[in-house]
Amino acid sequence: MDTVELLKGVDIFEGLTDHELKRVAGVCREAKFAKGQIVTTQGEEGEEMYIVRDGLVEVTVGETSEPRTVVNLGTGQVVGEMALVDRGPRSATARCVTDATLNVIQREAFEKLCESDTQIGMVVYRNLAADLSFKLRHRHLSRR
Amino acid sequence: MVYKVSIVVPGVEHGGAIINLSEKPQPGDHLKIGEMEVEVVEVIDLLPPRGDFHFLHATCERVETK
Repeated sequence: MDTVELLKGVDIFEGLTDHELKRVAGVCREAKFAKGQIVTTQGEEGEEMYIVRDGLVEVTVGETSEPRTVVNLGTGQVVGEMALVDRGPRSATARCVTDATLNVIQREAFEKLCESDTQIGMVVYRNLAADLSFKLRHRHLSRR
Repeated sequence: MVYKVSIVVPGVEHGGAIINLSEKPQPGDHLKIGEMEVEVVEVIDLLPPRGDFHFLHATCERVETK
């Protein structure tokens, strides 16, 4: 599957045209992760957002020896998106539960793209807000 | 269509999952979350659809595999 086809299945890019998706694909690079490999570490600086192309990524919080799993993210989900939004330290640790292929988007390259094409920026940031809302709703439902 | 599904497994220390499916899950369906297999018990619409995306919540039970 090429990157544009992958992006069509990711809701944060819903509403973009094929031309706009090609521009987003231009700032993506593919990265392979082994089962157990860490993608992000809670508290560290983060400059990238990841899209799960295949595999499963476990998200945990807690700095003790017993971190708590808050969600597992599968194909088409985004990981580390808060670094693109708030520039704060990583809020959670993300670790691959299986071998995984992720698409990586650097914040600086993505911000440049959004500044040069504000339609892309408006659509993606709106959808990122909706994705964060979805994850919050999932969290609330999982704690009932 | 893409079905973005929030999966919760009550009573299991797991955190659940968010996955995309190409077909709407139905009660009785079995899903794999990593090495864990679950059976769908109930599916509700979590948010209104947007474009080709539907946003669902599925309550599931763990399936004990031998």
